Amino acid sequence: MTKNLRVKTSKFIDETYRISFKFNGKTYYGFKGDTLASALLANDIHLVGRSFKYHRPRGIMTAGSEEPNAIVQLHHNTSRTEPNVRATEIEIYEGLEASSQNCWPSVNFDIGGINNFLSPVLPAGFYYKTFMWPASFWKKYEYFIRKSAGLGKSPTKPDPDVYEHKYIHCDVLIIGAGISGIIAAKTAAKNGFKTLLVEEKPYLGGSTIYQNSEHFKINNQISSSWLEKEINEIKKIKNLEIKIRTSVAAFYGYNYLLARENLTDHFPLEQRNNKTRHRLLKIRAKKVITATGSLERPLIFDNNDRPGILLSSAIEKYANFFGTACGEKNALFTNNDSAYETAISLYQKGINIEAVVDNREEIDSKLIKETEKNNIKVYKGYTVINTSGYKRINNITIMKLSKDGQKVIGPKISIKCDCLGISGGWTPAVHLFTQSGGKLKFREDDQVFIPNKYPLNQISIGSCNGDFTLDEILLNIIKTLKEFLNIKKIEYENLEVRSSFNKSKKNIWLLPSDKMIGKTKPFVDYQNDATAKDIKLALREGFRSIEHVKRYTTTGMGTDQGKLGNMHALGIISETSGSKMEELGTTTFRPPYTPLTFGTIVGRNVGEYFDIFRKTPIHEWHIENKAEFENVGQWKRAWYYPKEGESMHDAVQRESKAARDSAGILDASTLGKIDIQGTDSSEFLNRIYTNAWSKLAVGKCRYGLMLNEDGMVYDDGVTTRLDENHYIMTTTTGGAATVLGKLEDYLQTEWPELDVYLTSVTDHYATVSVCGPNSKKIISKVIPDLDFSDKNFPHMSFKNTKIGKIKCRIMRISFTGEHSYEINVQANYGKSVWEKCMKAGKEFNITPYGTETMHLLRAEKGFIIVGQDTDATMTPIDLQMNWIVSKKKYDFIGKRSLYRSDTIREDRKQLVGLLTENPDEVLEEGAQIVADINKSPVEMLGHVTSSYYSPNLKKSIALAVVRGGKNMMGHKLIIPMEKKQINVTVADPVFLDKENKRLNA
Amino acid sequence: MLNYINAITEEKSYSGLQMKEIKPVMKLIVRGKKREFLSAIGKSLNLLLPTEANTSTRSEKLTALWLSPDEWIIYSNKISDTDNNNYEIENLLTKNITKTNLGAITDVTDQFVLINLKGDKIFDLFQTGSPFNFNNFRNKKGSVIQTILAKIDVIIHNENQNEINLFVRRSFSHHLFSWMNDSASRL
Amino acid sequence: MFIINCPYCGEREQSEFKAGGEAHIVRPKQPTELSDDEWAEYLFMRKNIKGIQFERWVHTHGCRKWFNMIRDTSNDEIKAVYKMGDKPPIK
Repeated sequence: MTKNLRVKTSKFIDETYRISFKFNGKTYYGFKGDTLASALLANDIHLVGRSFKYHRPRGIMTAGSEEPNAIVQLHHNTSRTEPNVRATEIEIYEGLEASSQNCWPSVNFDIGGINNFLSPVLPAGFYYKTFMWPASFWKKYEYFIRKSAGLGKSPTKPDPDVYEHKYIHCDVLIIGAGISGIIAAKTAAKNGFKTLLVEEKPYLGGSTIYQNSEHFKINNQISSSWLEKEINEIKKIKNLEIKIRTSVAAFYGYNYLLARENLTDHFPLEQRNNKTRHRLLKIRAKKVITATGSLERPLIFDNNDRPGILLSSAIEKYANFFGTACGEKNALFTNNDSAYETAISLYQKGINIEAVVDNREEIDSKLIKETEKNNIKVYKGYTVINTSGYKRINNITIMKLSKDGQKVIGPKISIKCDCLGISGGWTPAVHLFTQSGGKLKFREDDQVFIPNKYPLNQISIGSCNGDFTLDEILLNIIKTLKEFLNIKKIEYENLEVRSSFNKSKKNIWLLPSDKMIGKTKPFVDYQNDATAKDIKLALREGFRSIEHVKRYTTTGMGTDQGKLGNMHALGIISETSGSKMEELGTTTFRPPYTPLTFGTIVGRNVGEYFDIFRKTPIHEWHIENKAEFENVGQWKRAWYYPKEGESMHDAVQRESKAARDSAGILDASTLGKIDIQGTDSSEFLNRIYTNAWSKLAVGKCRYGLMLNEDGMVYDDGVTTRLDENHYIMTTTTGGAATVLGKLEDYLQTEWPELDVYLTSVTDHYATVSVCGPNSKKIISKVIPDLDFSDKNFPHMSFKNTKIGKIKCRIMRISFTGEHSYEINVQANYGKSVWEKCMKAGKEFNITPYGTETMHLLRAEKGFIIVGQDTDATMTPIDLQMNWIVSKKKYDFIGKRSLYRSDTIREDRKQLVGLLTENPDEVLEEGAQIVADINKSPVEMLGHVTSSYYSPNLKKSIALAVVRGGKNMMGHKLIIPMEKKQINVTVADPVFLDKENKRLNA
Repeated sequence: MLNYINAITEEKSYSGLQMKEIKPVMKLIVRGKKREFLSAIGKSLNLLLPTEANTSTRSEKLTALWLSPDEWIIYSNKISDTDNNNYEIENLLTKNITKTNLGAITDVTDQFVLINLKGDKIFDLFQTGSPFNFNNFRNKKGSVIQTILAKIDVIIHNENQNEINLFVRRSFSHHLFSWMNDSASRL
Repeated sequence: MFIINCPYCGEREQSEFKAGGEAHIVRPKQPTELSDDEWAEYLFMRKNIKGIQFERWVHTHGCRKWFNMIRDTSNDEIKAVYKMGDKPPIK
């Protein structure tokens, strides 16, 4: 039977709006405003999960994003399923289905719970120690370890939700909308700053907003009433944007932050369609004010992890904000005054409190007085030494602390309870501050790390800066804001503040027990089941650095990143090893502060937006004609055009044959085109290409090879001299942007004296390439007025002409070895020119061919493709292209490197042709080449770079790079494959028409 | 006769946002460093090139956008014919600038697609894909910037209150326009 | 993610820029006169220090101009930016 623990109404909960949800298959009810955790607690459910290693029953521990235990799987087995969701954060909605994780068959009876009893043999580093030998067995172990590892289940279906990114630029960003954040936001906005206030919770006001005690007053009003008025005011300010449910994940340098804005997770599933689920905000702020508050510390004692043990402040929040008790018999255990605030709140709500256990002996404060006045028993100078109750706490045992706090003395006292609130004081949430590069210092008084050195243009205020009491907070904020925002007056200067909090605290990182440490289970990291015992073991085994201890014990490595326990781990290390906290420092806080979904990180960069695609002006024709496409750089290029029933091989063989037998047509629009103008253009080309350019006549084209300064081939292409001081350069498709960038680099930084201007015109032109013995006849039909005779229009020259009234430029250049023409026309006329060529070529069976056929045709001619046959380790000499390297030029980019001791070696890998013994056997590109297969280890001589079956030569051909290949003509080599060896002979890389007769055919 | 097929054939409309390609619009990249270059352009076009960064100038016929200290894009304010790509202004500048070795003139009419955006949600759209801070830019008529939108290089010209001319390279324009529509559908 | 003050365009996000390595390494005027070691010194050797470093950057997605930057690599603070050919404003 479940009980109803809902107490007096809370204005944050709408009791007229009932919501049904399922937990572990059973239906429960909650109200609008509830989180899953508060709704479960109201139904008296604490047990929500099992711990990671020992499968111990675990309950709700907190009321916020620091929750280590209450992590659930939502909507199991659906496309919207999500693991590791904190029950303390998820707001309930109609139809929510949550289930426990890391347990089988159920959270109530979990077989893995046996690990709890095996725990003496599962110490820190158990996996490292046990599964190291023999090394070859790892594969077997791994299978079982993987099976038992991991918390929730990741979704297996595509995510139906949409995620977006958004860039935001503001003057002032305030992180956290507690009392400090609200005051800062109002001050910044009222002073004219464009201000953004982000808050991870769905409401504003932090913990002050549900503070109902007479002990904390501002201007004679209860602090929550005062703050409520402030919140109502800031909502009306125009230049202040407020984002709730927005959690800052990362804080980088130069005030660049990432935040996740959660837009639909609180909606019923059916209302989420077509809405953005999460938005990743990329925030750039001129100034950042961090007001992230502080996290209450647990206390570390034996069996401090049972369901029903919560942070004291969480119990207070569940009572005051959610209007629910966490138990019927509550006990509190504290080392500071905070728990008394909880006690008083519970008392006011009529919730029973059995006792308050305080480890401070001589202590007095207004809060304690009031607690005692209400007949609540306070045990001063006591500590909890143990708890009992497997699936829910039912008892605590307390003993008196010795004066030095190191031992327990006197008789044991047993107190029955079904809920225990613990408070170990507060830890400033400095995670974001340190992420941004801030440096911390340790404050001995209350054992906290607080900001010390701020990076530029940011500040921390409120309790994340170590100010824990209301009066301190308000006093310091005013001073800080005036300085930071450079303003003279601030409206909060004469606030009258009453705060009854006594700051004394007795900090003991690991509370003493009547048992040996080895017999206890004082949990430090709840999620990863790391105990104080494990940390001490790590130290005994010689680990000293906090970073090493962390990894060895897995402390702080759960989805909560140790928000609760990291400080205790440090404290225990410090105490045990005798080193100072200040010197130990903290572990590095890394983004994200709370977990992000992958969807949030990738945003809209999925599906068709995963990468940019570029289309040529003729793209639609290729689609209409059923081309298959290939990605080349960002371009979509027509790969081949299969006819009905044709395989890729069939299509490529047909296209290749047609291009040599009659005519082929290729969309070459993707080649990079750079317009070069200026009086020093020829000189510039001389410096960047390996060959000479000064004597190239106007109207002529020339092939050029570009090197890096290290002598390696970088790019190639044909450049045409359009006029005395005007060239157009073509680059490889993939190299266009980087070539232009490199040329600009040289022009701007090395040779600023040269009068040269470079302008990209890649997209301005469509390039239609027609090749084959009938190409001339076809092009003459398209442009009847032009004289196509070899005399007027020889190979490697160009003509300006017109088709109708449209200007275009025709180059007679060839990448296939065939007689061919490239028509360059303004892009918007490109498809029309292509169609005209297709029409004119119909009688010649003009055949469109794609990149695959282009590659085959050029391979027959032994033409290289930079990036396929070269890989940034090939010089022109390695490519056997000595003919293109000018001996006369004094200098060009890369020249000096061509005779470094390394580049002149004879045994460098060099480009050769390969012919297979069996002419029908086609080699695999990338296959390794060896001379002697029996030598051990086998010496790899090189690899195949391009390989095809040539329909024109009726045999298999390949290009390869082979060590010392230049001097190996006719040698037999071996290509070892998985199941066979292929015998090959080294050959000239030019397989077809070595005399270039076809160019003028 | 060649058919004219521009890049973006659809006009799209959302609440607070309309997008369409404006074509054919002559566009030239003009480059030069010398003082005589600026004055020769000024005389030829009756339009002074903007020398202040991120600004533009405009005459009755032409608009000039600053791209870098020695680079501008000039585009015509009116659309031209689709059956002719011979531009008088290009010929004039080639004669007065290129032939006199003062600088460089390059026709980029189809290098760039000019997308016109109208509406009060333009900058909400830009914010979903551009790292540029539009806070001041949006109120400065005539401002020009080059930046990234959806990982693609763009030139953005503040044409008027709630009106933007955006230039993108033609091959990227389909992807960008598709992305813009996707994003606009959720504004 | 820095904010870089391009000497030509003003403050922009780092994503508009590319880094181009150490600054003030001049390409030798007469490479052919250099020994292998001297050439290798120019070609390969870079300082990559922790602290104040002189770097080349280019505003790739903006004006496409190269410029120099003085940056403290220990905390990423940009001390100055200056045009190519200009003398460093600080030592």
